[in-house]
Amino acid sequence: MNIQFKKGVLEICVLVLATSGDRYGYELAVKISEKFEVAVGSVYPLLNRLTQEGYFSTYLKESTEGPPRKYYQLTPDGWKHMRTLVAEWNAFTKAVNEIVEEGIRP
Amino acid sequence: MRTRDGYMLELERLLQAIPEEQRREWLYDYYMHFEMAAQNGQSEEEAAKELGDPRQIANELLLSYRVVQAESSNSFGGLSRAVFATFGMGLFNLIFVIGPYIAVAAVILALWVSAAAFAIAGIGTIVESVWIGTFTLGQAFSLGLICCSLSILLGVGMNVLTKKFFAWTLQYLKFNTRVIRGKSK
Repeated sequence: MNIQFKKGVLEICVLVLATSGDRYGYELAVKISEKFEVAVGSVYPLLNRLTQEGYFSTYLKESTEGPPRKYYQLTPDGWKHMRTLVAEWNAFTKAVNEIVEEGIRP
Repeated sequence: MRTRDGYMLELERLLQAIPEEQRREWLYDYYMHFEMAAQNGQSEEEAAKELGDPRQIANELLLSYRVVQAESSNSFGGLSRAVFATFGMGLFNLIFVIGPYIAVAAVILALWVSAAAFAIAGIGTIVESVWIGTFTLGQAFSLGLICCSLSILLGVGMNVLTKKFFAWTLQYLKFNTRVIRGKSK
């Protein structure tokens, strides 16, 4: 996929993935890198940035296998931010789709 | 040395500038990545390759850290550190970000110095006329008041301009932190 498309979109995906329950970093990183063909390593800095900006809080939880996992949980601010981004995204894709459909009509 | 230990040490070394607590919290993600990859039967080499260049990761982390710091500190020092953190992001930033930043910051500084100079000139004229008397008191007062008003006007304008400069710079830097790398093939 075009690299320009990926800017910003990853942020929405990470936030939305975390709405259905707390996720640990690896889970988010692998899920997203599979879908979007981005380096796994670039998902972690994104998570760290969103945490610094107060959209995620993190906690450690014991795991039956191996060391405790670091979970990412959406904060109330994170939920608000996610809703804003999704609304923007929907308006944006709707506009693009309208133009594309009009354009390719014979 | 094992690939994983080498990778983690390199990343830790690159993040020396970050306070220990924050650094540990970040490093845990990468440590866990190696752990989980091993559980899923991946080799350390594969996991390291998947993560990509540690320098790139460190650059991204440093830049977003500096931007968050600059936003909360609201000082020229903090802003400058954030701008210079883009240095690691490539030549483009050196030419199109750091260069213009230094130029505009110098102009802003120069204008602030001019505002201060006007104030000093205004007050100086009045003091001088009382002391030595090159000008009459009336002349000195009108000249002094003109200088002081210019200083205040310039100061008010500069205050707005400086705030705008801060906001624009931060906005650009934030945009920069949102750029995502493609998969390293």
